[in-house]
Amino acid sequence: MSHQPPIKSHQPIKSHQPAKSHQPINQVLLHPDSQATDIDQWFAGNGGTGIKKALADTSEIISLVCDAGLRGLGGGGFPTCKKWQFVAAQKAAPDKYLICNGNEDEPGTFKDAYLLAHSPHQVIEGALIAALVNQINKIVFYINPEQKTSLENMRHAVKQWEICDYFTEIEAQLARPLSICVMESSGHYIGGEETAAIESVEGNFPFPRGKPPYPAISGVHGCPTLINNVETLANVSHIVRKGAKWFQELGLGNSTGTKLYCLSGDVLKPGVFELPMGTPLTELIYTHGGGMLQDKKLKAVFTGGVSSSILTPKDIDVPLDFDSVKERGSSLGTGAMIVVSEGTGIVKRVTEYVNFYAHSSCGQCPPCKTGTFYISQLLNKIDTGQASFADLESLINLCKFLPGSGRCHLLDGAVIIVDSSLHHFLDEYKSSLV
Amino acid sequence: MSEKSAMSGSISYQQALDAYLNKDDFPATELSIDESLLLEKFHPDHRQETITNLQVGPNKGDRCHKQVAKILQADSRIDATDLAGARIKETDILVIGGGGAGCAAALMAAESGAKVILATKLRLGDSNTVMAEGGIQASIEKGDTPQSHYDDTYKAGHKKGIKDLIKQLVMDGPETIRWLIQQGMQFDLNKYGDLLTRKAGGTSANRVVYFRDYTGLEMIRVLREAVANSSVDVWDYSPAVELLSNESGHCAGAIISSLHDCSFIQIKARSVIIATGGIGRVHLNQFPTSNHFGATGDGLVLAYRLGARLRDLDSFQYHPTGVAYPQHLTGTLITEGVRSSGAYMINALGERFVDELKPRDIVAAAIIRECEQGRGVVGNSADGNEGLQGVWLDTPGLEARNPGLLNQRFPKLVQLGLRSDIDITKTPMLVYPTLHYQNGGVVIDENGLSDIPGLYCVGEVSGGIHGRNRLMGNALLDIISFGRRAGLRAVKKSQNRGHKKISIDHISNLRRELTLNNMPMNTKSPLLFPDYARYEAIISCEKRGSSSHCGGCDI
Repeated sequence: MSHQPPIKSHQPIKSHQPAKSHQPINQVLLHPDSQATDIDQWFAGNGGTGIKKALADTSEIISLVCDAGLRGLGGGGFPTCKKWQFVAAQKAAPDKYLICNGNEDEPGTFKDAYLLAHSPHQVIEGALIAALVNQINKIVFYINPEQKTSLENMRHAVKQWEICDYFTEIEAQLARPLSICVMESSGHYIGGEETAAIESVEGNFPFPRGKPPYPAISGVHGCPTLINNVETLANVSHIVRKGAKWFQELGLGNSTGTKLYCLSGDVLKPGVFELPMGTPLTELIYTHGGGMLQDKKLKAVFTGGVSSSILTPKDIDVPLDFDSVKERGSSLGTGAMIVVSEGTGIVKRVTEYVNFYAHSSCGQCPPCKTGTFYISQLLNKIDTGQASFADLESLINLCKFLPGSGRCHLLDGAVIIVDSSLHHFLDEYKSSLV
Repeated sequence: MSEKSAMSGSISYQQALDAYLNKDDFPATELSIDESLLLEKFHPDHRQETITNLQVGPNKGDRCHKQVAKILQADSRIDATDLAGARIKETDILVIGGGGAGCAAALMAAESGAKVILATKLRLGDSNTVMAEGGIQASIEKGDTPQSHYDDTYKAGHKKGIKDLIKQLVMDGPETIRWLIQQGMQFDLNKYGDLLTRKAGGTSANRVVYFRDYTGLEMIRVLREAVANSSVDVWDYSPAVELLSNESGHCAGAIISSLHDCSFIQIKARSVIIATGGIGRVHLNQFPTSNHFGATGDGLVLAYRLGARLRDLDSFQYHPTGVAYPQHLTGTLITEGVRSSGAYMINALGERFVDELKPRDIVAAAIIRECEQGRGVVGNSADGNEGLQGVWLDTPGLEARNPGLLNQRFPKLVQLGLRSDIDITKTPMLVYPTLHYQNGGVVIDENGLSDIPGLYCVGEVSGGIHGRNRLMGNALLDIISFGRRAGLRAVKKSQNRGHKKISIDHISNLRRELTLNNMPMNTKSPLLFPDYARYEAIISCEKRGSSSHCGGCDI
């Protein structure tokens, strides 16, 4: 497998390449043969083989996914096959659910929307294989209501699958009817959290639930529920089609497969890039992203998803995979990289983030409801040059005792980002004080 | 132009004046002219060397005047770093621009109960509206109809206007006059108290209502007072330097550069109404302009950067009768009202050379033709050198046919002459076309909404109503009609500001496009002030020791 050589020059490349035209040899999900909004087009390309193989023999699929090392690409990085094993071991009582999570609402993340709009069939085929293997009879595609094209294309694609021969074959193997539903999520950021998604599917406001019980045991209406991200499921049919070894070799170092990176912020060519999992950050920014806008210096990178601290120029060489990024104290999250150049105020950026979290808090847990609000108030005060040193001290104190006091990770996410910005850019905070 | 005058050997001011004064009969021209050929050969819009194609933005590939393209494809004045520590203010509606359109929009929005900030570059009323002289069109005369108003407007615009917008404009005419009267505006009346009307170049009926020859001044007097008595919060000396956008790319406010203390203020708003007027002070093709000091095309730049489509960026109106002599008044407008009242245009040979009541572009092109073909009069400049060329506007003839009319209807013009020792009842004024109006602008719908949700554009900054040539009196109607509509609509359709992010991220897209197209980034826009401007803000900035980032300070 040939990979790109590490980048030597940090000069931006001034060419007219479209954002997504990198080496197709490493592309799976964005490969031209995977792009299809029509089912015949999909079967003429990469489609059909995976589901055919799975229908022929379901017994080996879970171990195949294990060997491939597929991990949850929605931000968690939890081994997919483990989730599957839990769910497969449950009895359908009375149903089993699969929620394909396309709520995608984090700042800087737009990969799921891209997949759902441009290649709905590869997501659906992955979901059908998952259903077949785990004896799931209810599939819910849970999609952000803002993504109108995704919804439209998915609805069209689902209709095509329902009248296709494979569908009846799957029902025959499951020995009961299979239902697929394309559902608009609530549009709330918190609705992307696993248990909140379950509440949403049940028709309630997406309040996250306490865990345990885990969804694999008791999810939608108390039934065993598998929840996978759109990008995760999109990989499944390719793994079944080409094997675990092939998938392993796609990644760099210890990682497997490819990843969709959403590059945005102060780079010349932002966009969705499918690169080997473990591609260094510097390569993403300077080779694929065309370098920094106006040749400015890199100041920081915000990674998408909760529990992500800020990466700074010393982390520029970090391989973008779950473990390597974690070693630097941050997390890969959804694969969103929001690049910030010198000349941009960190306090303002962090304030924007925390305003988002404060607005997104479901209000269920008092520490989160008041905590995110109060942090956001303090940050706004600092950002607009009206805060005193005492305000900064309050902010620092809040960051110490708030984490861990909410049901889900929203509050932690807000705090981590503030905390890491305080760690790296304390002087900038201080210079904003009165 | 002075170059041309030297070449063509035109007739000197004194020589031509003597010839004029010795002649008392000016027969109408018998020449039948091919209008489209005249425009093509002599109208400044048709100088192909001044046109380019835009390379970035929503109008990529479209024709555009080079000087306009330069500011549309320029770098922003601000960087994200400038916003650190900037004050943040929240409001429902932000109106940018303090002319007639801005006032009308702000008044309607405030009346509907919205919280309104009106930010203007100079002071409330400092605008082109205040300089409008001729009047305002509305089909109120017996026998006149909105349909003929529509037909005239559409035809004068060379059938390039958007029909729905014209329909809206003409249908709003009578109601607009009624509203203005309710606000307290005066119009010239006959002895029975009925509104007086007159014809405009290119109209088929008497349709222009007016107050003396300072209709715009009267309008602004009334609107200023109305705004002062409303809940509108007026911010003087506060030009907008950039719009704010939310995560969906909708307009969510603007960044204001306060000229008082050179600070930036972010105003977050549910809707923004741009009413910044035209672009005359860019002096396209080096023409003098009748425009106000602040007409630097700021609104075009702001809207274009956010992704709003523009149109007809190669079409501008040159008003036929700008003063060409005395030199210090160059470009000052003499109202079309003088021609509609019956004044002739006469060349250096003492001939009438065009039907004075043709649409403005035709008359302007005809004057340029006379001057380029050696039948122009050369005004002397203060230092005795040859100044601008022009042709006579025959006010003495008008006075002879209608004794007392000039003093009664055009007191401002009489005063203008007297201040330069010219008695216009005896001596004609030398005139030459002056850059007057931006025909194109931001593409809007019937309520002034641009392509971008939350962004409304009204008045001269918008395009499509007047096609490629505007009729006299339709500008004042346009600003009030569409200004009021936008004000009402913006409140009704008030959108959510967005919750994730309100920022100037669209500026990064602009910089990306400029870099990828290898375009220079040394020009910064919006211009805010003409390039020859010197103003107090520079001093106050220097005093405070801040040098570069105040809008307009880095001349």
